Amino acid sequence: MERQPVQRISKRALTLWRIYGGIQFSILLLISIGLVVATVLWEWPWWITAVAAALLLIDAVVFIWIVPGLRWKRWRYEVTEQDIDLQYGIFIITRTLVPMVRVQHVDTEQGPLLRKFKLSTISISTAATIHKIPALDEREAERLRQSISSLARVAEDDV
Amino acid sequence: MYEPKRLHPISSVINFVKTLKDAALPLLLVFVLNGNIFSGDVDWIPLLIWIGVLFLVLISGVIRWLRFSYWMEEGELRIEYGFIFRKKRYIPVDRIQSLDFSEGIFHRPLNLVKVSVETAGSTGSQNAEAELTAIRREEAKELETLIFQEKSGYVSTGEEADDADIEAAQSPREKVYGMDMKDIVLMAITSGGAGVVLSGVIAFFSQIMDNLPIGKIYDEILDWIQIGVLVVAFTAFVVLLIAYAISIVLTIFRYANFAVYLEADDLIITRGWLEKKQMTIPINRIQGIRIDENLIRQPMGYASVTLISAGGSVLKNDEHQLRMLPMIKKNEIQKVLKMILSDYQMVDEFKQPPSRSKYRYMIRHSWLGFLAAVPVSIFFFPYGLLSISAGIFLVFLGGMAYRDAGWNAYDTQLTLRSRIIIKQTYLMKKHRVQAASGIQTLFQKRADLSSVKLTLTSGGGAAVAQCHYLEEKDVSHILNWYLSSRREEKPAES
Repeated sequence: MERQPVQRISKRALTLWRIYGGIQFSILLLISIGLVVATVLWEWPWWITAVAAALLLIDAVVFIWIVPGLRWKRWRYEVTEQDIDLQYGIFIITRTLVPMVRVQHVDTEQGPLLRKFKLSTISISTAATIHKIPALDEREAERLRQSISSLARVAEDDV
Repeated sequence: MYEPKRLHPISSVINFVKTLKDAALPLLLVFVLNGNIFSGDVDWIPLLIWIGVLFLVLISGVIRWLRFSYWMEEGELRIEYGFIFRKKRYIPVDRIQSLDFSEGIFHRPLNLVKVSVETAGSTGSQNAEAELTAIRREEAKELETLIFQEKSGYVSTGEEADDADIEAAQSPREKVYGMDMKDIVLMAITSGGAGVVLSGVIAFFSQIMDNLPIGKIYDEILDWIQIGVLVVAFTAFVVLLIAYAISIVLTIFRYANFAVYLEADDLIITRGWLEKKQMTIPINRIQGIRIDENLIRQPMGYASVTLISAGGSVLKNDEHQLRMLPMIKKNEIQKVLKMILSDYQMVDEFKQPPSRSKYRYMIRHSWLGFLAAVPVSIFFFPYGLLSISAGIFLVFLGGMAYRDAGWNAYDTQLTLRSRIIIKQTYLMKKHRVQAASGIQTLFQKRADLSSVKLTLTSGGGAAVAQCHYLEEKDVSHILNWYLSSRREEKPAES
């Protein structure tokens, strides 16, 4: 198991995740603005504003700058005839093996943002688990979906 | 069997009772909120409404019975039901895995059975399952014979199947395991069921406490504490004792006459006194085996064996149903397994996590306990400090968890042993494992440690076997075991 899976997900995922981080940031920003208004109106202690500002800054640094990069760097996958091999996680690194014969069906899904970036998420279901590879290139995801579903000879009812 | 048939009329009563049971809590709540019946201070209108509702439930039970019909047609078990929305459920016979018969208190005097149809459902697809609330035993037998004849490709033309065919279709049952009364009583005494009953009683008492005039009590609280503590402690002790006794009696009733039979390719488990239950588990649907040893039973050398099965309906509803051997001497498990699932082996030698994992186990088990002890100690100052001892107990438990963790990969079987509170040993076959993961935090990575997680199918969901803080190379070994030689190795029975 020393060898890591070779494939990486699309580099465009980075931009996408930064946008997600940005959306999260703007929601927090709105809440903070509300807080500041409330502080002024009802003369709450000033440190609430300070804490909110600090949290905002940390959120921006972590979720827009650091996390997407780390996440992208860690995400690797490899699909062979026998297995699907995944590796992901920033603090908790998970390495998962799914034998091809266990795969029951494969789906690709695409939200509006993903569509804009021509990306697609593929989810692989077994009888007990679902595994997702996020933000693959659209065509790559489609190719993968077809190859997995043709490779996965769905086992009979013994699951 | 080929014409639409009704269930036995008693099913309308069963429907009624069942709906009532489901609605028992809201009903009770209404009575409680409705003022005190005993003091005559009753609000009549809501009460009348509820009597009306009760009546409607009874009527709906009758209508449900009237509108429910089932029959066999074109190799399908067809069921139609529903009052306003007519629902049709056609289950192809090939999809039917087994029919399970059970008897409740309403069934027994009338010689009826409840039939649960179990199908080969998987996640993704809708589980087609069905229940015939009450039919005559002979009808049930006939249905069973018919279904299994059709299943085996032979389509019976007449209404009555040949007796000889029935004889041929039923292979002899072989009893592989039975529990004697001594084991059942011992199991009842050492079960965790007491805790469940107890929490119910506590919930009940907390309801009553809410209705007490708190303000008045608060004034007298100092006096009350002096004598009160004794009274409360005594009451708690009595309640505990009663709860324990109830749980023992319930367990005895539930597990009386427990026996496991082997019939062709099915495992059949029967149990119960008042309510007789029978479960059928096709052996090729069994995904793995779990052996549990709780803190009380382990020193006595007893364990319980649970089957992890990919089965459908019945298995999901009742957690007890999968228990194949609820209470057995650990050293006798192998003997029984050999008769049923001979490819599973009990293992004695385990590769354990390294000693540097020990303090990690202790922290993992106890950090939450210690964290909770901080506010408890502060708010209930002198006595609250006792909560720290709970944390210390958890440290001790963590040490046990470290000692019990281990793995063994031999041939096609992986055995994984771990403990949270109960010591659990999973026996897994390579071709039954759905996915395997190695999981590592950055801290663990620095210490060359890793956790391993294997997922099996269980009912509609998943059973997860996990073991923490193993050597990184051991986890690699397990993942490699999972990878290697899968090509030549094929499931034998499918």
